[in-house]
Amino acid sequence: MIQIKDLEKFYKTEEVQTIALNKLSFDVKEGEFVAIMGPSGCGKSTLLNILGLLDDPDGGSFMFNGTEVAGYNERKRSELRKHNIGFVFQSFNLIDELTVFENVELPLIYTGVKPAERKQQVEAVLEKMQIMHRRNHFPQQLSGGQQQRVAVARAVVNKPKLILADEPTGNLDSTNGNEVMDLLIDLNEAGTTIIMVTHSEHDAKYSHRIIRMLDGQKVTENILA
Amino acid sequence: MIKNYFKIAWRSLKTNRLFSVINIFGLSIGLATTLLLFLFILHERSFDTMYGHKDKIFRVLLHTTEEGIETWGQVPSALGPELTEHIPNAVKSGRILQNGYGGNAFIKVRDKVLTERLLFWVDPSILEMFDVKMLSGIGAEALNKPNNILLSESTAKRYFGSENPLGKTLSVDNRNTFEVKGVFEDFPDNSSLNFNAVVPFMMRQEAKHPSWGNASFETFVMLNSDKPNLGAIENKLQSIIDANMDKEQQWYTFSLQPLKEIHLNSSAYSDSYLENYGDIRQIKNLTALAIIILIIACINYMNLITARSQKKAKDVGVNKTLGASSKQLILRFYVETGLITAIAMLLGGFFSILILPSFNKIVNRTLEVSSLFSLEILSFLVLTWLVTTLISGSYPALYLSRFSPKEALKPSSNKGIMTSFIRKGLVVVQFSASVVLIVAVLVVRQQLEYIQNKNLGFNPENVIAISTTAIPDFATNEALVNAFERRPNVSLVAMAQGFPTASVSLNSIYKPNSDVGMSVNTNLAQHNIVDILQLKLLAGQRLPELKQNGDSLVEVLINKTALDFLGYTPEEAIGKKVDAQLGNNSYICGVVDDFNFTSLHKPIGAYVFHNTARKGNYNYLLVRFKNGVLMETVSEFENTFKDIAPNSAFEYSFIDKNLEFFYQKEKQMANVSLLFSVLAVIVACLGLFALAAFMAEQRQKEIGVRKVFGASVPKIVQLLSLDFMKLILISFVISFPLAFYIMNNWLQDFAYHINIRWSVFAIASTLSLIITFFTVGYQAIKAAVANPIKSLRTE
Repeated sequence: MIQIKDLEKFYKTEEVQTIALNKLSFDVKEGEFVAIMGPSGCGKSTLLNILGLLDDPDGGSFMFNGTEVAGYNERKRSELRKHNIGFVFQSFNLIDELTVFENVELPLIYTGVKPAERKQQVEAVLEKMQIMHRRNHFPQQLSGGQQQRVAVARAVVNKPKLILADEPTGNLDSTNGNEVMDLLIDLNEAGTTIIMVTHSEHDAKYSHRIIRMLDGQKVTENILA
Repeated sequence: MIKNYFKIAWRSLKTNRLFSVINIFGLSIGLATTLLLFLFILHERSFDTMYGHKDKIFRVLLHTTEEGIETWGQVPSALGPELTEHIPNAVKSGRILQNGYGGNAFIKVRDKVLTERLLFWVDPSILEMFDVKMLSGIGAEALNKPNNILLSESTAKRYFGSENPLGKTLSVDNRNTFEVKGVFEDFPDNSSLNFNAVVPFMMRQEAKHPSWGNASFETFVMLNSDKPNLGAIENKLQSIIDANMDKEQQWYTFSLQPLKEIHLNSSAYSDSYLENYGDIRQIKNLTALAIIILIIACINYMNLITARSQKKAKDVGVNKTLGASSKQLILRFYVETGLITAIAMLLGGFFSILILPSFNKIVNRTLEVSSLFSLEILSFLVLTWLVTTLISGSYPALYLSRFSPKEALKPSSNKGIMTSFIRKGLVVVQFSASVVLIVAVLVVRQQLEYIQNKNLGFNPENVIAISTTAIPDFATNEALVNAFERRPNVSLVAMAQGFPTASVSLNSIYKPNSDVGMSVNTNLAQHNIVDILQLKLLAGQRLPELKQNGDSLVEVLINKTALDFLGYTPEEAIGKKVDAQLGNNSYICGVVDDFNFTSLHKPIGAYVFHNTARKGNYNYLLVRFKNGVLMETVSEFENTFKDIAPNSAFEYSFIDKNLEFFYQKEKQMANVSLLFSVLAVIVACLGLFALAAFMAEQRQKEIGVRKVFGASVPKIVQLLSLDFMKLILISFVISFPLAFYIMNNWLQDFAYHINIRWSVFAIASTLSLIITFFTVGYQAIKAAVANPIKSLRTE
């Protein structure tokens, strides 16, 4: 599904250039669950942004489903993104002014799904995530675990082929964290590809493969399953 | 510590250049306009305050009791001397009369003929009341003897150059010769009274034979107290009338107007020789405008500051963690605001100096740059600085400094949601004010256009009026008419006492066999006046040719208003006897349709043309041109005039230009309101721009999330702009009725006015929506195209 080769990304300030990704290469197959680990500043988040088509690489190749997407413009990336990729963030990034239902509904609005169908799909996913009873609440009224479940629900409502999770349990206690991990496993077992950035060895063990990074490069790769 | 605050404030200004520039620029425009308007208001309020007896001097007003009640600034000549005699509190009283009842005087100095607009026949006490300062020669006592004249310093220079004017002689209107007895200091700009030349009132027929009929004399009285019982004095005034006139003859009452109120509170009164009348309504409008602009500028500042509050909040958090108290932070924010307002103030002062010359033209005054440095203005500046700093600095100072450090440092807390309501409210206030101003500008313009294009009932174009006041003999006048009529471009010439826009005699006209009267303008004119003015004849015929001296038959051409008052149909009226104080032998020969002989502020009154056999009373030659006034023809006229009447100066005016003079105040107001409305809207836009930046910043995360989940750029722009459009729509709801109310009130000052049309509101709203869209659109697009990962990056 994903092939990256010699991927490069630099950050420039007025005086210095920082290398965030240094000729990074790896593949991810459809249905895989990959964990990416490494210390702060090793380039994990940059990688995730590029994989999520939120950012452009400065060099190298990025094939998504067999198509080179490295040079895509914003409109094309947005199109590809909204139909294929779901995001889960460490800090949930729910919109405070929208209710649980409306937050989850958002991706469907942007892909042009009709209201009646949207309602059906949102309710189905809320049911699945067991937060249906909270559908009319605002994010601030929920616990961290509940908020992340809403965020996951939002990520999957469009039935994306790929879910990118950036430390999805980083802001949660272990009970809530485990619940979220179970959700991701379920999704993966149903066929969704998952790439997860994490600091937690515990969470990483849920994956099939762990890629360890340092200074923008791949250091090791452990296959777990 | 304070030094440190200044340092921080200065650096924060430098790092946020765009915001700082917008901020300071907006505020300085606000301050500059406020400063100019304040300067103007101060000048208007300073009128007549230089006179030592300012609190004790009063002008006598006359209120007509006939149909169409009016207030005049002039009273009959008999009243002046009676005042000191019958009113115990009256110390002095005096009358003034402008030469030719408000016309020009023709001065002949040796072989030079000059036109003098400001020659007055004056009682000596006037000079004493108004502390007229003599620079040489004698003062008031010169007016106790005939044929003495006093000149102002600049007038003496104009007449005699560098020579000593004392003892020199000159003649006025070829009738009287005067000897210069003294030179007085020029009257200041802010004096209602303004004389260039003063001659003794005692020489006038009206002084020798005072009457209770002709009310043409501006009369002042000085009392022995500055807090007199005006009610008691007015009763005394009534008893003076009662003692001199039969009840049924009385057509007026008197009252006293304090000197300090004359300048600003007299614009509704007719008949006065004082110039430069201000208008209290204009002052009130301008004061309101100044306050609105300053408020808009302050709101701007607050919105701009809050636009940066998210960043500032973090700053507060860090400072508090490091041990700063709320008090210290409040002080810090005030220092920062104080610094910005001080810079804006300096810049505003600079702007106002730049704008002052154009502003002077608009308001028709000569305000000087030096007056910007007067004590009043400087204290006003300091006060404005303090108020502006307090108003605009309070939000950041009191709101931001209250945050607990934990709250302030939290990356995604919802600081400001509580106050967003207030902020939005401020934008609504700001925009409502702008919309009201836009509507006002449109309505004022439309009304002026209406006035300029209104059918006046006569044709003022291509007619000039040549003054013949100084030509007493009929033969010379006739020679001029004959000479002018021969010019190829001239269609008609007529002698007349006056013309529409110029004053004529004010009499009363009475219903048949009744004492019920009405004021009527009477104009002694030649037979072709109807054709020169292109009046519409409804019935009867033009005035017959002139009468021979001694013929007592008077023929009268009346207008429709006079006809309606008399109660006739046009046809009935012909041949009827009429009493318009023109002799006992007056008959109606024709009826003309109404025409606007004075400004459209006033409804049309009664007007009659007549041919009384008093040949000396023609003051003008009216000349109608065939196709447009040719300046060559006018200069040929001047040569002919000098040949035929060498002792008089050639003076002429265009009737249509005179008409424009009536609406000078409105034009002035239109220009002022246009200028300041544009400025207000610019300032409001700057504020909106900043607020859009703020909202975009505050919703950065939301925008990021939406983009990640597929929102397109147009969708985001729509999302952000829509919010503002809602605010603008709310401001329409508030401003439309307000603007309608205000402008409808303004229009009531015109007897003839437009009705406010819906199109005005449509234009105003379209304009503000377009402005909003462009202002907000920039920020919205900027926010929408930004890369979402920046806003979503976790800390």
